[in-house]
Formats: sequence, C-alpha cells, structure tokens
Amino acid sequence: MFSSLIAWFTASAQWSSTTGIPTRLLQHLGYTALTVLVAAVIAVPIGLYIGHTGRGRFLVVGLANGLRALPELGVLVLFVLLIGLGLTPVVLALMLLAIPPLLAGTYAGVSGVDPAAVDAARGVGMTERQILVQVELPNALPLMVAGLRTATLQVVATATIAAFVSLGGLGRYIVDGQAQRDFVQMAGGAVLVALLAIVLEVALQGLQRAVTPGVRRTRSTPVVGKTDTVTVGG
Amino acid sequence: MIEFSDVRKAYPDGTVALTSLSLTAREGEITVLVGPSGCGKTTTLRMVNRMVDPSSGTVRLDGVDVSTQDPPTLRRGIGYVIQNAGLFPHRTVLDNVATVPVLLGRRRSEARSAAGELLERVGLDPKVGSRYPAQLSGGQQQRVGVARALAGDAPVLLMDEPFSAVDPVVRADLQDELLRLQSELGRTILFVTHDIDEAIRLGDMVAVLRVGGTLAQFAPPAELLAAPADDFVAGFVGRDRGYRRLQFVGAGSLALSDFPTTGEGWLLVVDDDGRPTGWRQGEEHVALGTVHAEGGSLRSALDAALSSPAGRGVAVDDDGRVLGGIEPEAVITLLHASAGSTAGSSPESVR
Repeated sequence: MFSSLIAWFTASAQWSSTTGIPTRLLQHLGYTALTVLVAAVIAVPIGLYIGHTGRGRFLVVGLANGLRALPELGVLVLFVLLIGLGLTPVVLALMLLAIPPLLAGTYAGVSGVDPAAVDAARGVGMTERQILVQVELPNALPLMVAGLRTATLQVVATATIAAFVSLGGLGRYIVDGQAQRDFVQMAGGAVLVALLAIVLEVALQGLQRAVTPGVRRTRSTPVVGKTDTVTVGG
Repeated sequence: MIEFSDVRKAYPDGTVALTSLSLTAREGEITVLVGPSGCGKTTTLRMVNRMVDPSSGTVRLDGVDVSTQDPPTLRRGIGYVIQNAGLFPHRTVLDNVATVPVLLGRRRSEARSAAGELLERVGLDPKVGSRYPAQLSGGQQQRVGVARALAGDAPVLLMDEPFSAVDPVVRADLQDELLRLQSELGRTILFVTHDIDEAIRLGDMVAVLRVGGTLAQFAPPAELLAAPADDFVAGFVGRDRGYRRLQFVGAGSLALSDFPTTGEGWLLVVDDDGRPTGWRQGEEHVALGTVHAEGGSLRSALDAALSSPAGRGVAVDDDGRVLGGIEPEAVITLLHASAGSTAGSSPESVR
C-alpha cells in the first residue's frame, strides 16, 4: 500500500496533466482562499463593531454555536438545489464554517483590549475611529489571526466536498477514488489535504507571531488557547 | 479654572452619582476630590473632559461651557492620567508619550524628541523610550502616564487615582515628583483619590465628598484637619488629625537649646563639617533619629524630638549642619502660642 502510494505520487502524469496534482492543489487553495476572504469581509467588520460597542454580543455566541452544528454536506446539497451547480453554493456552504471562528476571534480580540488603554485613548482625544484603528485593532490582531487560522484549517479540510458537486480540488481524488474503488488514489488525496493543512498552519502561526505587538511576542501560546476556548464554547 | 455649577448626574437605572455639586478649581492649583467609593469623585472629574456628561448643571473650563465643545478636540487640550496608566501596549514608551502631539498634527519625529525630554522631566531615563509598557514597573508606567498627559502642553490636568495601584514607597516618590513638577509648571490640576493622606499632602484645596455626591467640605488641608465641618469629615480625615495638623504649622520661631559637650548623658556626635552623625553615651553609640531641617513644620520638629534617644531632637540648616537642640517642651510652647491661628500659616511654605 505504502509503495503504491509512492508510485501514485511519483507518476509523471500526476505532475504534468491538466488534472494532475498541481492543478488540483491550486483549485483547492483557490476555493479555500476565496471562502476565507469572503467570510472575513463579512465577519471582521461585524466582529469589530460588536467588540468596540459591546452591542449584539449574543450574535457571536449564537452564530458560533449554531453554524457549527450544521451538517456541511447537507448544507451544500441544499444550496445546490436552491442555486444550481457551480462555485457559489460551495463557497456559501464553506463560509458557514469560516465565519464563526473569524467573528469570535475578532470580537474576542477587540473586547479583550485593556479597558484602561481604551479609556486613556478616548481621554487623550482620539475619535472612536482612531481608537478602533490605532489602539483596538493592533492589540486584537493576534486573536484575529488565531481566528483566521481556525477558519482556514476548517475550510481547507472541508473543501473536499467541492468534488461532490462536480468541481475540482483535492476532493476529486477522494470522490473519484471511492467511485473507482481506487483506494490508493483516495489515500493520496487525503495525504495531500493533510500536507496542505500543515503548511498553512505553520505559515499562519508565523503570521500570528509577527502581528503580536511589543514584548507580548513571547506569550503567543496562551493567546491561541484563549481563542480556542472562545470559538468552541462560543 | 474649572467651575462646576449645580452639576447633577443620574443614570437611567435611577442611580444618582452626583446630587448637586458646585465647586471651583482655581488656576495653577492642585484641587483634590476625595471621598469614599460611590461619592461621585471620578464622575465629577470625567465631566471636565466630557467622558461623562452631566444630567443637569454646567461645567466651565476657563469660562467656556464644555458641553459646547467637540469631545475629542476638548480632550486633546486637557491632560489625562488614570489609575494603572492605561498605556498603549503596542506602542513604545516614546510613542505613547508622543500620542497627543501627533493627534494635534505635529510631525512624529518632532513629537518623539520632545517626548524624550519629557521622560527626563518626570524622572525617567530616556533609554526607556524604546521599551514597551509591559517592560516597565508600575511606578515607571505611571510616570510615563504623567509624561503623556504633559506632552500636549495642556494647562489643565485631570488625574484619576493615578498613584493608587503602586506600593506606598513608590507612591510617596510619585507624590513628591508631582509636587516638584507642579512647582515648575503651575498647571491647574484636578486630582481624584480615596486616600485622605494623599489629598492632604498634594492638595492646595481639598473637596471632601459624601456618598451620593454631595460636598461635605471644601477647604485647604490645614483647615480640614483643624476644623472639620461635621462628623463625617472628622471621621474621614482620621484619628490622628491633631498630630497631622502640625505639618501645616511652621516651626520658624522655635526656641533651640544648646547641646552639652561633655558629661554623663547622651552626647551628639558631629563630623568635621558640623553635620550630626549619631549619639554617644559612654561606650554606647546610637544612630541619629530624624532631623528637623530649618524651615520645616512643627510635625518634623516634634518627630525629631520624639525619635532622639536623648529626648532632644536635632535641628540642622540647609547644608545639614547642626543649629541646635529641640526640646519637646519648646514644641508644645510654640503650639500653644500658635493655637487658634493654625489655618493662617501657609501650607506651601512648610510642605
């Protein structure tokens, strides 16, 4: 099994044909990036608003728990029935996974900024926008990136469902492999998804360290732990 | 000058933070608001820079009603220091101090070099400028907080329990530093504390507030100790107010005695310059008690007498040379003479 897996990876067609690994990998990355981007455009401003004003906190808890409970494949089928085949239902279904951690991370990051620093910012004459951009946002970034990490991992692992509705991505190997009872191909696809997830995880960890301001750089681990609690428990 | 006229603050849930307050903080003075928690002192302070708006009444800053001004613009012209400093964790010390000048539109490089000078002014090594707040001690952070408030050259400073979160030794240092800065800068300072000792030490005028936000007494510290308006103020200023009042009585005309140079009793040991170094009786050597510096208060004179093993304190001049001895009886005699005129002596001169 292991040697046939290596043979599957090293077959020259895998690396040159238009349906080979590079193409599938790029498609998979494309779905992931598009989903996370659209989810961030929706979740980050809402998270910033809720964190800054304290209004609508129930939304974070409700969404974080509610959306997580939805069966992803069922949701995808529902969207395909409503909208038809294509990229849109896939991105919509995956977004439901990406929004909760992004929203929770942004909200937790902003509302967790030292209240004394925010009070001082207002007291020295910053406008609300300046408080948000110059004080709350920079201090919230580590938790926001932690949310981005969780969202990206969830999406990259689940984006295989795109293949169920005739799109590409690494899910193709799993879906086609199952249909053809080609278990080597299925295993190859799974390994590729896992590798991609690890690479993204390492890259985003680096990003999280880079945005952690000042000397708090050394404390990035408890910061991550905190988000995980927030996103899981809502 | 800050004027509060019939200021009232009630919250929608029915809590009344301030019932009706009228008070004037004079130009160039430190006015302290003191009282137990829930007396509305912080609310009062925060009305000056519109962090809180009154339900009724007006707050005027140099004659201008603050409610007519745009809050961020108003605040940039008022220094603001809070408990725990509230420094921005993601900015270096220098950038923290430069915050207000940059908000006012000054160039960042210019604001930074001015910030470096301010750090020295508040007693910090300019080298800490490149550090982040988390790398500083609580006392250092608070000094940075004061520097940030001074950076905009605001004539008015609001200080909300700025020294409450640091240990007593550091607090005393910071209080001395503030008095020194104030003697150089002469800002109009509104200072909130729950610590009556701090209020008496720093205030030119002290306003004692009751729970529910009414003014119990507004007076210079010496008067507060000598003549509390009622039982609440008397209870609040504490048990040993009689003794503490001595710090506002000058010891200028205190009669000094001579020290014996030989004999059986305690002899004062002095160095070649005439500065006292200790006490000696036969073979026994004892460290010096507290010494009373010329121009100090009766409190320091009495303490010098009480802390000396010889039962007689040491008075020294500005250079630390012995002037004479202080007999406890002489302190009491002077106290009798000044009784009834305590409030007349100027607190500034003996603080």
